[in-house]
Amino acid sequence: MKSTLYRKKWPLLVFLVPALAFLLVFLYYPFVQNIINSMSEISGLGTPSQGMQEPWYANYAALFTDSRLRTAMKNTLILMVCTVVFQVGIALVLALLVDSIRVGAQLFRTLYFFPIVISATALGLMFNLIFLYNGGMVNQLLMGMGVIAENIDWKDQAHFLFTMLLPVMWQYVGFYFVILVTGLNNIPQDLYEAASLDGCTGLSRVRYITLPLLRNVLCTCLVLAITGALKVFDLPWVMFGAGMPREQGWLTGTYMYDQTFNRGNVDYGSAIAMLIVVLGVVLSNVANRVFKPRDDI
Amino acid sequence: MNRTRMFSIALACALLISLLAGCAGTGTKHSKAPGGSTGSQSPAKKVELTVVTSYGGDDGNRKNYEDAVKAFEAATGNTVLDACATSNEEWKAKVLTDFETGTEPDVLFFFTNADAEPFIQAGKVVDIATIRSEYPEYGANMKDSMFAVAADGKQYALPSSGFWENLFVNTKVLTACGIEVPGPDYTWEQFLKDCQTIRDKGYTPIACSLFEVPHYWFEFVVMNNGTLDSQLDVPTLDSEGKLVMDAAAKKWIAGLNDIKDLYERGYFPANTLTATDAETVQLFGDGEAAFLIDGSWKVGYFTENYPDNLEDYAISYVPAKGDRAASEAIGGISMGYFITRKAWESPDKRAAAVAFVEHMTSDEVLSNFVTTEVTALVNGASPEGLNALQQSAADANANITGVVGAVQDAITSEAKTDLFGNVQNVVTGTMSAEDAVASAIALN
Repeated sequence: MKSTLYRKKWPLLVFLVPALAFLLVFLYYPFVQNIINSMSEISGLGTPSQGMQEPWYANYAALFTDSRLRTAMKNTLILMVCTVVFQVGIALVLALLVDSIRVGAQLFRTLYFFPIVISATALGLMFNLIFLYNGGMVNQLLMGMGVIAENIDWKDQAHFLFTMLLPVMWQYVGFYFVILVTGLNNIPQDLYEAASLDGCTGLSRVRYITLPLLRNVLCTCLVLAITGALKVFDLPWVMFGAGMPREQGWLTGTYMYDQTFNRGNVDYGSAIAMLIVVLGVVLSNVANRVFKPRDDI
Repeated sequence: MNRTRMFSIALACALLISLLAGCAGTGTKHSKAPGGSTGSQSPAKKVELTVVTSYGGDDGNRKNYEDAVKAFEAATGNTVLDACATSNEEWKAKVLTDFETGTEPDVLFFFTNADAEPFIQAGKVVDIATIRSEYPEYGANMKDSMFAVAADGKQYALPSSGFWENLFVNTKVLTACGIEVPGPDYTWEQFLKDCQTIRDKGYTPIACSLFEVPHYWFEFVVMNNGTLDSQLDVPTLDSEGKLVMDAAAKKWIAGLNDIKDLYERGYFPANTLTATDAETVQLFGDGEAAFLIDGSWKVGYFTENYPDNLEDYAISYVPAKGDRAASEAIGGISMGYFITRKAWESPDKRAAAVAFVEHMTSDEVLSNFVTTEVTALVNGASPEGLNALQQSAADANANITGVVGAVQDAITSEAKTDLFGNVQNVVTGTMSAEDAVASAIALN
């Protein structure tokens, strides 16, 4: 017998309308305004539009000839691949290891999840100290062990990708780890017991039982990782600022921010924001199709 | 059933209220006791004043500012919601955005040059004449002739302490390299020789982050390729958008190429293109670099952060070439306190805002902020007990033969960001100095 709450629809409306209003005001209205801004002539933050661009698609045409944006796109794609391979990959390995131990599993869950709760700005400052040129932790360690004779500039063109990607990877491993551990906990123990009776243990158990049954959770993680990589901004911005080193360190997010907030190029920044949205929609659709969850699992 | 319904309604109401609360503006909290004011009207209630300044980060006057704010709060009972930050292009953009979006503070400590024009022209701050019509003693302790004049001919900001930019030297490093502290006759040729000697001895000659703060060097290399009188001339574009190759453009290009020359000789830190200003200043402070061009605010920074090493630092003169003398420097009064129209039109905040600015620009408070900088005070500041570095600055300033404002203050924020962002491209040869100047001027 259904309760009154579910038979009568108005209480649902009461709950849904505020959320919808919130989305309309803070998401859809700014989104539509952003489309208009990208076609307008706006010379500074908050300044009124001076009319439409001539032609209206001038900013979108400029996207194709902007070498900094090309760099940003390339770096973002590299970040995306690394996110999938390292964040989800390492999270999967850690989840499988933690799932197989009986003592201390809760401790490891907390430890691996901990970086998520630290602000990205604090992490950026911390990693800045770790990779500092003069007196940084890494350089001191390598120097002390005799591996290097001179300090390494971890933010120069030869090293910046590693220095930028490592903290981002490290920060979010715990996020996917928790999702995957939850997925592992949902796999019935009966299956493992039945498999062990048939002599299936160790890696075979992972290969033939765990991974197939974890497929849908893994797919969700991969889609989240791909779409999340497009939004990475705060940690790289704190560590690398505006394009360090030598305009090679841009990501789509940091480049959009710099154009909009530092250079006051609001209309072009809006066009970059639209590009990020389009990329996000296309890539998440592709990811959803490639990693489509199966109903039979 | 009724309980469930009531519970769901209560939850929905709570959600709606929290949403509306989030959208609501931040009202002024009032308490019962009145605050004090030196103006003609006393604030009826204690108020919260929102104040934005650049006395955040590693500013040498940060502690003086915090002490002054505490003294104001104790004397008036008002509360100052302080939003200090470090002065850079990002901070300037944020301040301007706050004005555009209607979230400006009640009192703003900001640049009084072209950077302030957007909110002045928008009528978002109150001019001094208007304030004096109600508070005749407002800024009476200052020389009106030293107030910055806006494009509309009015004066808006009560000036704080002035600034100078000059060459800091680490005497310990120079001694180790057998080099004398440069005097007011320091030449560019001698400077290059000294840099090579310092480099050969294993020290970094020049502490500077070309990624973050190339503008200190830019000002002086431009003056080296021009004159003090023409320092504020800005290049222009012709009708086709091409750079006009006049004297202004030529000295900017030559100046950028001088920085490129220093970079190619290896006189900047090895990581100058990836280091922050804080990192390179530390290099200088720790005795690993010899020269640093910076401003008067850094005297306070070294006093606070390197109190035991102050004997190791001295203020010298930026090496000169061409028609410029090394005793000519960058300086002036570039910042001041604005009262926003929002605060002025608030019956509660008007008097408190005026009282706050009067307090911060009083003879007593400003004397704590300055050591060797110029002020607009009629009676002059009376700093006491100068330490070794402050005395060195005072001695150097005594030999200064000419001072001019920074040319970067004559161009827009967008042009500045573009120009200084491209310095790294110029020194590494991925962009010509001419293209960098043209690119910046196109945004001016």
